Amino acid sequence: MAGIALFMYAAHVPQGAFAAPLAAVEYRQQTQDIITLSGTIVDDATGQPLPGVTIMDAQRKVYGTSNGDGAFNIKVPKGAVLSFSMIGYTASTLTLNASQAKLSVRLKESSSQLNEVVVTALGIKREEKALGYSVSTLDNKDVTNAISNNWTNALSGKVAGLNMVKSGGGPAGSNKIILRGENSLSGESEALIVIDGVITSGSSGRSTGTGSGAYLSSESPADFGNSLADINPDDIESVSVLKGPAATALYGSRGGNGAVIITTKSGRQNQKGIGVSFNSNTSIETISRWPDYQTEYGQGDVGQDLYYSYLATADGASTRSTSSAWGPKFDGQKFFQYDPVTRTTSAERLPWVGYENNHKDFFQVGTNFINSVALEGANNTSSARLSITNLKNKWIIPNTGYTRNTVALSISHKITDKLQITSKVNYTNKYSDNLPSTGYNNQTIMYFIRGLAPNMNMDWFKDYWTPGQEGILQNRPFSSLLDNPYLIANEMLNKSNRHNVVGNVTATYNFLPNLSLMVRTSMDMSYDARSQQRPFSTNKYATGMYRTQNVYNQEVNSDFLLRYNSKIGSKFEYSLTAGGSRMNNKYTLDEIRAEQLLYPGIYNFSNSKNMLVTLPNRSQYAVNSFYALGSFSYDNFLFMDLTARNDWASTLATPTSTDNVSFFYPSVSLSAVLSEKIKMPEAISFMKIRASLAGAGSGSTKAYQTAYAYGPTQFPGSLVNPTVIANPELRPLATTSYEVGLDTRFFKNRLEIDFTAYKNNTRDQIISSPIDRASGYNAVILNVGEVQNQGLELQVNGSPLKSKNGLNMNLYGTFSYNENKVVALADSVGTIVMSTGPRGSIEARVGGSMGDIYGLGYLRSPDGQIVYRNGYPVLDQNSKYLGNSTARYKGSFGTGFTYRGFSLNLLFDAQFGGRAYSLTHSVLADEGKLQKTVPGRYNGIIGNGVVQNADGSYSPNTVVAASTATFYKTHFQRDNVEANTFSTDFIKFREARFDYSLRPKLVEKLGLQRATIGVYGRDLFMFTDWPVFDPEFGTIGGSGEITAGFETGQFPSTRTFGLNISIGI
Amino acid sequence: MKKTYKTFCLIMLSGMLINTSCKKDFKEINTDPNRSAAALPEALLTPSLWDVVTRNNNRALRLTHELMQDHVAVSDGDEVHRYVIRAGESDYMWNNWYLQLTNFKDMYNRANELNNKTFMGIALICDVYVSSLITDTYGDVPYTDAGKGREGVYQPKFDRQEEIYKDLFRKLEEANTLLATGNVMTTEQLAYDPLYGRTTGATSATTITNWRKFGNSMYLRLLMRASGRPEANALAKIKEIVDTNPANYPIFSNNDESAVVRYTMTPPYTSSFYGGRPFDFSGSNGLTEFFVNNLNQWNDPRRTRWATIDGGTYIGIPSGFQRGQVPERRSTYLDALMNEPLLGNIMNYPELQFLLAEAAVKGYIAGSAQTYYETGVVNAITFWGVTPPEDQLQNEFIKWNPEESDDLKMEKIHLQKYYTLFFTDFQQWFEYRRTGHPNLPKGAGLENGGQMPSRLRYPVNVQSLNSANYSAAVAAFGTDDLNTKVWWNK
Repeated sequence: MAGIALFMYAAHVPQGAFAAPLAAVEYRQQTQDIITLSGTIVDDATGQPLPGVTIMDAQRKVYGTSNGDGAFNIKVPKGAVLSFSMIGYTASTLTLNASQAKLSVRLKESSSQLNEVVVTALGIKREEKALGYSVSTLDNKDVTNAISNNWTNALSGKVAGLNMVKSGGGPAGSNKIILRGENSLSGESEALIVIDGVITSGSSGRSTGTGSGAYLSSESPADFGNSLADINPDDIESVSVLKGPAATALYGSRGGNGAVIITTKSGRQNQKGIGVSFNSNTSIETISRWPDYQTEYGQGDVGQDLYYSYLATADGASTRSTSSAWGPKFDGQKFFQYDPVTRTTSAERLPWVGYENNHKDFFQVGTNFINSVALEGANNTSSARLSITNLKNKWIIPNTGYTRNTVALSISHKITDKLQITSKVNYTNKYSDNLPSTGYNNQTIMYFIRGLAPNMNMDWFKDYWTPGQEGILQNRPFSSLLDNPYLIANEMLNKSNRHNVVGNVTATYNFLPNLSLMVRTSMDMSYDARSQQRPFSTNKYATGMYRTQNVYNQEVNSDFLLRYNSKIGSKFEYSLTAGGSRMNNKYTLDEIRAEQLLYPGIYNFSNSKNMLVTLPNRSQYAVNSFYALGSFSYDNFLFMDLTARNDWASTLATPTSTDNVSFFYPSVSLSAVLSEKIKMPEAISFMKIRASLAGAGSGSTKAYQTAYAYGPTQFPGSLVNPTVIANPELRPLATTSYEVGLDTRFFKNRLEIDFTAYKNNTRDQIISSPIDRASGYNAVILNVGEVQNQGLELQVNGSPLKSKNGLNMNLYGTFSYNENKVVALADSVGTIVMSTGPRGSIEARVGGSMGDIYGLGYLRSPDGQIVYRNGYPVLDQNSKYLGNSTARYKGSFGTGFTYRGFSLNLLFDAQFGGRAYSLTHSVLADEGKLQKTVPGRYNGIIGNGVVQNADGSYSPNTVVAASTATFYKTHFQRDNVEANTFSTDFIKFREARFDYSLRPKLVEKLGLQRATIGVYGRDLFMFTDWPVFDPEFGTIGGSGEITAGFETGQFPSTRTFGLNISIGI
Repeated sequence: MKKTYKTFCLIMLSGMLINTSCKKDFKEINTDPNRSAAALPEALLTPSLWDVVTRNNNRALRLTHELMQDHVAVSDGDEVHRYVIRAGESDYMWNNWYLQLTNFKDMYNRANELNNKTFMGIALICDVYVSSLITDTYGDVPYTDAGKGREGVYQPKFDRQEEIYKDLFRKLEEANTLLATGNVMTTEQLAYDPLYGRTTGATSATTITNWRKFGNSMYLRLLMRASGRPEANALAKIKEIVDTNPANYPIFSNNDESAVVRYTMTPPYTSSFYGGRPFDFSGSNGLTEFFVNNLNQWNDPRRTRWATIDGGTYIGIPSGFQRGQVPERRSTYLDALMNEPLLGNIMNYPELQFLLAEAAVKGYIAGSAQTYYETGVVNAITFWGVTPPEDQLQNEFIKWNPEESDDLKMEKIHLQKYYTLFFTDFQQWFEYRRTGHPNLPKGAGLENGGQMPSRLRYPVNVQSLNSANYSAAVAAFGTDDLNTKVWWNK
């Protein structure tokens, strides 16, 4: 058994600062002479100790890791080729034949991260140099720099080609991650989420909302969050973002949309046996932006600007119930108004004044406390890490927030030299007494907030029950349409208690140094007990309501991976990997509803007035797979990967046939390090080109689309025909992607520019294709349609300043551009409505793009001017294209400085080219609440546009609108999607962090290993024309889907300030 | 080494075993546990009928009652009461009617398999009810090919309305024949029938007879609608049903036999407006002068069931008002109407009486127009559970005058009928289009040339989803706009 095993890990050209025998080494298999090595590992540039550096041999046998001081103490076989590696640094190798103490190992920061080991599909670690596709890697610092409720927010601006659609749904704030553009006509464009090898996006990671929609008569959903957001960012070791199918070919069916691979921390060896670290994070959240409210005019409907009267008084009929602010000007006059003491009309006329901050008064400062403790340790055979985290969140809306406890355990044990068992388990309990309802509806806070007129004082709402009728009649001083916001916050509760376990057990057996078998079982399981309760006297539920949902998600995946690697001659290396997996996904949602209650304030099912409504829903699917990967390298310069995978998907089976369930797809990728072979100009220190071509198939993750079946109804014993025709001939969809890239480093690696161009097409999509309803059905399940995404990604890193113990500076930036095209739909289908807003819709039309917004707009003259009639603008009755909801251009710019123990990091990001409809804007303008509706009150206004003359020609509009209020109402009515659609371009000052690490001497005095204190800010400022809160938003729907394009009562945008203290003992 | 190879072989072998089992259980795994592969005909009746009627109510509020000036929206957009109907308004009923038609057609086929004549008959009556609504709303529509998506017909051909009506008549004949010797309904089956079977004291015999009466009464409604078209031979059939062969064509004989989906406050048997906000029902509209003044002149007790009092009286507002002249709301619908059981009216006894009165005036049948009219007037009141004023039939605005012109008689009948069709799908509008009665005032703010729309446009997506058939239909039928007259209206 001669030969060095170099599985997945190539020895590097030594770059260490010490002289040691470094030539390629033959070592003797039988030698078991053990030597002891100890020393410290430091950053070559800064001299700072590096904790967590892994020390292993060429067989990837781990001997230990450096502790918090960068120190290590290991026992290794004499002559072993030891490699010191850590993400973000160029690995260094070392071979010694005798024990040594006080070794000093210096690691160079790899600004390009090029020689770095990255985690790729199936958890296979690869050297980035060998990859023929682009991978973005983030380390722990990237995700903990400026912690927010959902750590995935930290991906913004750090990964080119990543588009995040945020639900904006409150403290739990789910995010939808889309890589390189939407490609699925059935709406399944989200990236795969993998946590320690466990695919969670199909189970605990899937959002399940309640309710049915964010607009009016629908039930407002609450965002309950998902397991992705619940990971404690401190537990994250690294995140790899694999953007194209080439990278994710080994994930098969579900990897076609790219993948986000999260690796959590493992135990590291520590000087004192056990390493203990504490991390405390305190942050506050405040509202960063408000619509441009007018404060000059008070409550009053159109034409009610002459007087104000709370109920009918000597002054005239009541004007108290409108939400509009077309009323009288605050001009020092007095009117009969609301008296909060008597709760009716004041006895005397009171001064007519506005309460400028009334919108703001309802909200509070949000707080977020995260405290965690981690214990870790390792010896030659075992390592373990246990971390416990507690999070307490109070959100900006009173009585909302949640508590989260996380326990993460990682253990690894070498039973023999050949057998290693590792396991990672993450348990999370997330508990909330109330998460806010979202959308635009009586049950939501934002519906009330927009309804607030300038002369209303928030204090008048605080006692939300009418005295003597507590629990039965709410206090609504003004409109009876607006539920009292304090009642909403304190009595209309959406509760959730979720238990989530994500874990895996892996056994690796090394038959030979170059032949190993890994067998792994992973499971993702979550159980969420949710409830919603509504008190008596609410608009939607006059006699209350109580509902519960029990949501159970489970995905079990068992797989094996057999790996073999070898060498032919001295230059040609190859490794072969073959594996298989069996995945089973189950989902159960049991909902019980009591739609009316007998007795107020009792929320259980025995208090139901009616027969309980039960809504059971379960689904299951399975995918079995075999796959193989061949990696070939020649002379450390040319690399090639070939993959092949065959899937069997249960979703393509029918109750009588499994003919279509099997499908195969391959991929190939190449990379060449040109700078190894071609003489480059001096400025260029490194150049690599890469190219890949990949296919991916998918059987959809939606079960039961192949057999016709009658659906249940609420009527006992009754059924209905389905509205979608099943397709027993269903075939897998196919994605083909091409990618080329160029990675160039200049000036001794001080500047790196990585450029990627890609194109991918997804065809034969499994979609519910609309048909003429006269056929008796809404749609038929078909294999049709093609969507193409092509784009560019650019990532730049630079280190303009670098000095030992001096000032260091680095810069980085990303830019991406994506062009999406709907190439084809079914023959007769001109458009597929992807989602609808309060008005208008997002449609996929042939030749258009995913995310195109259509809706009504102004009637315009041939030269594009708004047509007026009688002084008011005219609405065109035909739907028109009003922009695309996805920003085409995204970019970011970040910079970091370090000076001795200090460091400062700043990040800006921006997007351009997207548009969205704002319902909040429409309603505020319609109700005269915005500054823009002040001009012309009340001396008349002439609209800028034209009128059509009797002969059909156009001339400028000169008609004074009879009513200024009607003028603005006509302009900004909800139906006018055009007038209420705005650019979502923004530049955000996304992150800022300032850290100070105590000097090692001081730390030692304190008996600590390390101590760092940092202050940070997130989303500090934004520059945007968006008229309400945050241009970066989504709207969460009844089944948890997050859609962009239509703002429907969004919550205020917030900025976060935090303080972080991190101590190692 | 040997051991290694052995292990290796073992792995390969087990790999092959997994391979063979890769599709195992997939048939079971992909069988839907939430839905049923089979359905009994009676199981399809309630949800579909409920769906049709509640949606009809929804659109009666949104479209019919605006067009027909029961109420007007007090806002200044492009409002329906100004005869502005956006293209998008066409989708809702087209989409939902056709979906439910699928259930009724399927119910017929399932009943046919079981040779259950009763449910075949019921299915046909429901089919005709929905199909007639579709064609009366849009004109020429897919009919023969409709609901055949499951058989792969995704682009159904349009049929001429004349042909559709012929077939509707055929179906009603068939239903009448089937129900004449219908299979006995079991207790369970009775519970499945929301129109008659669930009524207290209902038996199989009364239920089947009532369905038969409903079918034949609706037959008369459709015959009258086609009565202006000689090729329909409607007059002969009307005479046969009413005069020459009434024994074979039983029709409604009292209010209790009316076809009404009686809403309750117990889900799911609730109305279209159950659980909604009163504001969305009546908060932004007001009853019109036309609607209120007639009731006031008649001293009609139905006002107490329908309208709010404003300033001590019932008072309406003008309809078709000009832009910028939005009137202030006065009397509005009572919130109680949102859960009113009678809003589920499909066809009632007084409507039949007014149909017969019209037929008598026009000489299609032999009976006394006055008797039919007066029976209708009284029953229209008692249908709502209120007592008619004592001198009601003598009221100067109600009193039948045999000397009056036919046109004035028609106006009288149809004015009464208009109120009987309160919240009854699109019937007020259909009858107005057919007869021009009642004589609605025309406000200055009307658009569409002041012309009452004669139909709804085809939904926009039909133009792409069913392009060739759409074009052929428009070529035969006429321009796809609001003013093209349907066959019976020509």
